[in-house]
Amino acid sequence: MSKTVLIVDDSESIRDLVEMTLENAGYTVIKSFDGEDATYKLNTSRPVDLIITDLNMPNLDGIDFIKNVRANEKYSTVPILLLTTESQAIKKEKAKEVGATGWIVKPFVREKLIAIVKKVIR
Amino acid sequence: MDKFQKTFLQEAEELMDDLEQALLRLEDDFEDKQCISEIFRAMHSLKGGGSMFGFDTISSITHHLETIYDQIRNNELKANRNILDVTFEAVDHLKHSLMDQQLSEDYNRKKHQEVMLKIEALRSEVDNGQEELDSSESTLTMATYYVLVSPKESIFANGTNPLYLIDDLSALGKCLVLPSLTSLPVLKEVEPDKCYTQFEVLISTELPKEEIKDVFIFAEDQCDLQVEMICGGDLLDFEPLISALESKRLDEDILGYDAVKNIVQLHLNESSKSIKKSKKDIAKTESSIRVSSDKLDELMNLVSELVTTQAQISLIAEQKGIEELTELGENMEKITRRLRDNAFSICLVPIQVLVTRFQRLVRDLSNDLGKEVQFITSGTETELDKSIIENISDPILHIIRNSIDHGIETSEERVKKGKSPVGKLELSAFYSGTYVYVQLRDDGQGINPESVKKKAIQNGLIISGDQLTEKEALELVFMPGFSTAEEITDVSGRGVGMDVVKRKIEALKGDVTIASKINEGTSITIKLPLTLSIIDGMLVEIAETKYIIPLDFVDKCYEIYTSKLDGEDSQKYVFEGSMLPVLNTRACFGFQAFSGDITQVIKLTYEEFPVCITVDHIIGQYQAAMKPLGEHYESQDEFSGATILGDGSVALVLDVMRFVRQHLMVKELKLEH
Repeated sequence: MSKTVLIVDDSESIRDLVEMTLENAGYTVIKSFDGEDATYKLNTSRPVDLIITDLNMPNLDGIDFIKNVRANEKYSTVPILLLTTESQAIKKEKAKEVGATGWIVKPFVREKLIAIVKKVIR
Repeated sequence: MDKFQKTFLQEAEELMDDLEQALLRLEDDFEDKQCISEIFRAMHSLKGGGSMFGFDTISSITHHLETIYDQIRNNELKANRNILDVTFEAVDHLKHSLMDQQLSEDYNRKKHQEVMLKIEALRSEVDNGQEELDSSESTLTMATYYVLVSPKESIFANGTNPLYLIDDLSALGKCLVLPSLTSLPVLKEVEPDKCYTQFEVLISTELPKEEIKDVFIFAEDQCDLQVEMICGGDLLDFEPLISALESKRLDEDILGYDAVKNIVQLHLNESSKSIKKSKKDIAKTESSIRVSSDKLDELMNLVSELVTTQAQISLIAEQKGIEELTELGENMEKITRRLRDNAFSICLVPIQVLVTRFQRLVRDLSNDLGKEVQFITSGTETELDKSIIENISDPILHIIRNSIDHGIETSEERVKKGKSPVGKLELSAFYSGTYVYVQLRDDGQGINPESVKKKAIQNGLIISGDQLTEKEALELVFMPGFSTAEEITDVSGRGVGMDVVKRKIEALKGDVTIASKINEGTSITIKLPLTLSIIDGMLVEIAETKYIIPLDFVDKCYEIYTSKLDGEDSQKYVFEGSMLPVLNTRACFGFQAFSGDITQVIKLTYEEFPVCITVDHIIGQYQAAMKPLGEHYESQDEFSGATILGDGSVALVLDVMRFVRQHLMVKELKLEH
């Protein structure tokens, strides 16, 4: 069965781009537009093998979303990648502290995205 | 173009609209944290997407602006007018260059450099200013303190007046003084050289606690003093809290620090709750999907085709007398009706979508003209068909331009007239029946009907002997070739005048009226139909031709003997004890008089008074999918469109308002001459 990736980003274009890139690489993609919606989807949809999330989002931002995910027993160990333009080290540190696995910096090349995803979920 | 780029462009447009809206709100309150983070987020998304999809103009500009707003967000920098002005300019530039990413147009390229330079300048300014800010930061943080002053009874003895101490306190910052008089005995027992009063003071100040204590330095042993910090920030700016504290005081003695702190906590929680709630509400309206307007048009088209087909089925069922089919037809009618209502609501757009544009115009114009104008909106959640929304923006923009340019006076003039120096421009929208009203009201100098008349005579629109009511005189401003401004500024310009506004609104089957009082202001009211494409109507027959009368106008139906009609266009007749004008449609349309014994009369609701019209037969209720009449019939005023009936024939849809107005007027003219 193909692995499932959840992409959380408030920008539709980025969501679509990630979706198409990963689907072409053989993954199943679930899309979500903010932390609140993503938390809901995690609880209701099929099990997710990887979460890719933006940091700056309305309602529930990336950091709080990651906290939520980690608090959920089912997802306490699922890899989480940040997808962000945030170059500030503080934010990244903060994200790692609450449980992020790594990050992808926007703008990214599609091949690179696939390579990172492959590395994280074998 | 890449499909993702297209999505991003749409997204970028929306983000820029959000950005603009947030900027306008920030302008009212430079401290609005929520706004600042909205602005930051929008810029951040623009930057991310811009760099992702190769829109370098966007990413380069937002990159630097983002840094500035990040500093504002982190309290390292305060928002100011200069920053906002540059941001507005940058957003404008981004919008313009959205379609010209390579900056191939000279103008765009120059503008880009200009904007980049300005942002650069802003940044270096910020960097310089920052050091100063850092060094003075410790003294500049605002905080609110609780002070309890309990003078000893003997305080007067050494010449200290506690009221002076309170005065000194209020020199430090904003104060809320709550005196306690509970220990004051009845008058007979008062000893004049004793002090009975205690004071509780809330003070918000930038100064440290020690400064507050210092006020009492010479009275230290004459009064007990308690100074506690409640929290950072200026609590006395917060109206509900103050009234809560004041009302609490009425039934209690000294509140004490803990009680005050509790009240504060309670209110702060509540207000943050309500902010969160409103944030949720906004988010809710945003979580919608994007559908291209072509698809919506297509949907509406299909629905109206379905309505027509359903009418055909019902007709066949009736003609052939097939019971099952009749039943099916009726069911289908119910479903199409619901489908129609649903499809309509999809096409409805709240007026709010236009408001940013209006706010922006008010801001820019009032800045340009050196006037102070406050723009207030209400009822902007009122929804209108998107095709109407698309076309109503320009007329409203024009009215706003007129108001600010000619209506609202400069601050000095306003003060001279005894008005508030800030002019007010109000946009309110509301439903009434099947119409939506949009009203623009300013509190400017108003329009003088006399000068309107004079101008109209000059321009040859009326003759000097014409007797006009005040209302009629004001309506002259809607005549082509009319302009009241003594000097023509480049804002409202000449050429395009209120006549174009009127024409555009009438093209939408709407109506515009004006009311004005000298020195009190002008209000312009636009009345628009809720929707244009499918209406509930009453199918009638006049001289073997079928017509649709929109059901919203139909009040009642009567029958009268045809012999009672005098064959004129219009006459009066008594129905249920009231005399009503009756328009004889056959005479109006130039047909021969009706040969049947009994004529049907339909009472219509028309503006201020009801009007009746005659028809030969009433066939029944009918859902009419409106089709335009085409170029040839554009100049007529009696029909708003046509619809195809179940049997394939065409019925004209009566434009009740205009039909009645036109034929009543004809009658009045005939009476006069």
